Amino acid sequence: MHINDPPMSAVAGNSKPKADEGVSVGRGLDGLNLFVANIQTGFGPFISVYLTTQGWTQTAIGTALSLGTIAAMASQIPAGVLVDAIRNKAVVAFASILAFSASALLLAIRPTALWVYAAEVLHGFSSCTLGPAIAAMSLIFAGPAMLGSRLGRNARFASIGNGIGAALMGACGYYVSERAVFFLTAAVTLPAVLSLLPLTRLREQAPPPSPGKHPARAPISGLLTNRALVIFALCAMLFTLGNSAMLPLAANTLTKEAGNFASLLIAGCIIVPQLVVAAISPAMGGLAEQRGRRLVLLIGFCTLPVRGILFATLGHPAALVLIQALDGVAAACVGILVPLIASDIAGRSGRYNLSMGLIGLAIGIGATISTTFAGWIADAFSTRAAYVSLALVGLLAVLLAFGAMPETRPAPLDLQLD
Amino acid sequence: MPENVKPLPSSEAAAVLGKKVRGANGEELGPIVDVLVDSDGHPLAAVIDFGGFLGVGSRKVAVDWKALDFTSLGRADTVGLGLNRAQIAAAPEYKPGPPGANVVTTPSSPLPPVDAHK
Repeated sequence: MHINDPPMSAVAGNSKPKADEGVSVGRGLDGLNLFVANIQTGFGPFISVYLTTQGWTQTAIGTALSLGTIAAMASQIPAGVLVDAIRNKAVVAFASILAFSASALLLAIRPTALWVYAAEVLHGFSSCTLGPAIAAMSLIFAGPAMLGSRLGRNARFASIGNGIGAALMGACGYYVSERAVFFLTAAVTLPAVLSLLPLTRLREQAPPPSPGKHPARAPISGLLTNRALVIFALCAMLFTLGNSAMLPLAANTLTKEAGNFASLLIAGCIIVPQLVVAAISPAMGGLAEQRGRRLVLLIGFCTLPVRGILFATLGHPAALVLIQALDGVAAACVGILVPLIASDIAGRSGRYNLSMGLIGLAIGIGATISTTFAGWIADAFSTRAAYVSLALVGLLAVLLAFGAMPETRPAPLDLQLD
Repeated sequence: MPENVKPLPSSEAAAVLGKKVRGANGEELGPIVDVLVDSDGHPLAAVIDFGGFLGVGSRKVAVDWKALDFTSLGRADTVGLGLNRAQIAAAPEYKPGPPGANVVTTPSSPLPPVDAHK
């Protein structure tokens, strides 16, 4: 679910001449983040539940999901380049959301191999264009100085959308049918598109009129040798490697040990972090603006080894749900920092979305390895060993961030030039 | 119709993959995701994807084929099982491949572990 974590924007700060317009753009971004997160809930692990009810074999489901993962990873870089090249990001977002509707409808109406594969590829690619497009619109709207606050707000609305989505889709699957979940998903794309309407006015400024010698877009090689970007991508990959298998592992433990309330407690494990994100994201965005990115990054990363050790030592089902609150702290920090640090590094170079694509690819690789890695340790040793191993990977992420990640917050002077 | 084709009415046979299994108290346990057969092709166990929420946290558990009741398959599209949630939850997780599966049985249908790869 990491793809829908990103952005948000600062409404309050922009109340200058065109105050009304600013308010409606801000509300548009709020709604967009909420509904997009809502839509994303139906995709993901639920697809395998649905395909199972359609008589799919486990092997075929595995193939379809792998195809989606590969499509999403292979799309990160090209999607970034594409979004950079299109000046009106609302058009990109509109096309991506339409692709989500098509994808959801294909899954609901034609759950046969070819169409499911098409839906997976379509969804994988458009996730890679939508996340960066939302971040780019947030940057245009809020400006570099207020981007942290806006991203905090985006994360708040996205997590509300995730939480409502999990409850709504879960109830729909249980009381109506698995298929109905995808019709509901397709229906939610309508309010998402409506939220876009006020955002069509946003235009990227002409490429920075900066110190002459720069071409319109910085060369790609400059990004790959940018130390801050490479270190941050590595940090994000290590963090995700330690993070993404932790919830499934805890949920699996609950299914085994929590008896009749297991499914409810797993729902709690999914929703509790969303509540935390909704509560603290704006504060974390403000903190990143005022005290710097490094501090927020370290706060977020530090929760991961702590969570792993707590999972490994406390076995009580209710404790697992409470420990998941730490996941919310990490999700808030990382969700804000990915688009924020990408903006610090490449916001005005015309390569913002490509930078986000690079980080997205690193996160995708981490997530893919994580499940296999944790599954292997759990099988070969024990679930507890898997938690501890994930915690150690998380600790590596903390050490790398602490030792090598530079502060990327622009100096206040730079900001005033905007 | 070609000579080598014979009709098999839905009243006599039905698909089982993806059909939901209901427990002793009517609670939903999860769908059948695989069937383990012996070298004659006779089914010995069904693999159920048990529990979870929105696909997160489910566990695969193998249950004795004889413990399943297929009489409700045509009528309600579900399969019955005389076990409750707690009994399934306590079972070891099913892993494909050697050494084989540990199959959950009802007290009336004892069955030794199945070696799916003999």
